[in-house]
Amino acid sequence: MRNRATATRVVLIVWLVVAVVGDVALAFGPIPPGQASDLASSESLVILLLAEIAWPVFSGVLAALFFTLVINRMAPPTAEVSADALRGNTRVQTIWIATTLVIVLSLAVYGTVALAIDQPGAGISTTSASLPAPASQDQPLEVQVIAQQWWFTYRYPTYGGIETAQLVLPVNQKIQFHITSLDVIHAFWFFALGVKADAVPLNDNVVTATPTEIGTYRVQCSELCGLWHGNMADNTAMVVSTSDFAAWIQQQTALDGPIMKYLPPYSHTYTGTNLPQPGVYAP
Amino acid sequence: MRSRFWYLVAGVVVAAVAVGFFVTRFLNPTPEQMTATSTSATIQGRPVVDFTLTTVGVIGSGPHPAWVSYLPTTYLKVPTGAVVHITIDQQDSPSGLRNPYFSLVRGTVNNEMTVNGKVVQAIDPTTPAHTFTVPDLGVSVPLEGVSGSVTQNVVEFSFVVPDQSGLFRWQCFVPCGAGTLYGNGGPMQTLGYMAGELQVG
Repeated sequence: MRNRATATRVVLIVWLVVAVVGDVALAFGPIPPGQASDLASSESLVILLLAEIAWPVFSGVLAALFFTLVINRMAPPTAEVSADALRGNTRVQTIWIATTLVIVLSLAVYGTVALAIDQPGAGISTTSASLPAPASQDQPLEVQVIAQQWWFTYRYPTYGGIETAQLVLPVNQKIQFHITSLDVIHAFWFFALGVKADAVPLNDNVVTATPTEIGTYRVQCSELCGLWHGNMADNTAMVVSTSDFAAWIQQQTALDGPIMKYLPPYSHTYTGTNLPQPGVYAP
Repeated sequence: MRSRFWYLVAGVVVAAVAVGFFVTRFLNPTPEQMTATSTSATIQGRPVVDFTLTTVGVIGSGPHPAWVSYLPTTYLKVPTGAVVHITIDQQDSPSGLRNPYFSLVRGTVNNEMTVNGKVVQAIDPTTPAHTFTVPDLGVSVPLEGVSGSVTQNVVEFSFVVPDQSGLFRWQCFVPCGAGTLYGNGGPMQTLGYMAGELQVG
């Protein structure tokens, strides 16, 4: 009996050490999607919080399993086995249920508050007109993501509605992504910025994020969309300084010169009515 | 009893090899690949290689004789670092682009092409029959459709491929798979018709 009590203490201490070390490692380790935008930072915080709570629970369950299977195991019956009543432990059950309840309810409240006041996340736009040119970093820069089988293109309505095949964003500028599709359902996933939203024909899906780290990133489609779905990605999305962004816009405007008269007027969604030849693309 | 066991083992092995062969062939077909023709020309020290392709509204043979297609193949092979000069004999009628952006010539030398000898940087987005687009290389060229008495448009352009080996997909961005969902089914979703691979190196 004394040996079992000692073993129980050892298991508890080992669990405590594993739980603390694991939580400390999580606190200092890289948590996806990272810190490349305010949205990504917010998502990383939520994931860190969940992981910090989940790790002690997970390791505790493993410790309890070890305790039950190895230490608290009954000796093989030497006589006829009787159908004894199960023995309960009110104190253990109360602690277990109360702890679970507190964790679940706390996370529910946190999640609800975060959804309500933190980031707007993805949603259907209620606006129909393009925004004016950003006067400050608080004024969002609208960037439209157009998905089609099998490439993303991007329009910048505040810069004459130019369209490009590369996504370039200015650092520390709030970006309002307007995501739509010209054919089937795709999904725009800019992992590093924490942006992931469906691209649905005739729908305008809006996500706001402020990139905070200059760099080159990957964007990809995350909705199975046909033959080249796996290739509907590129590693050339960039977050650049404000001056580099201005230079890039100037360069793209010049490159788009021959096409500008053919591009349809900027719109949050595209149908046969604002494409050059209605009806040709939907047999 | 022992011989029955070995018959069973042999049967399982034969079946596994047959299934493996089928799966391997299905997942990794070995289509006929067209290698670019070398030329003596160089541009900025890079070798120039040639391809000639044809686009037709009806391929007329194979498992889908009514499908639109590039000919003779969509599996192309070029050396690393080369300037790839492509001539396309475009014989199909126009369908129009879903996204007018693809009527812009991009990623080619000087961002231009020639259509029947005339230098062009963009065309009316209602007139392309197809495009030749290699997304990962940033190359996209619209191919103007034929109409009336015109039976072919000869489109020429050149682009530079990377110095490293790689496999790049290419495709048409005109939804020309008539009769399929959004025009992007059938030949648009099948390698060898309106989709292909460019092997560099």
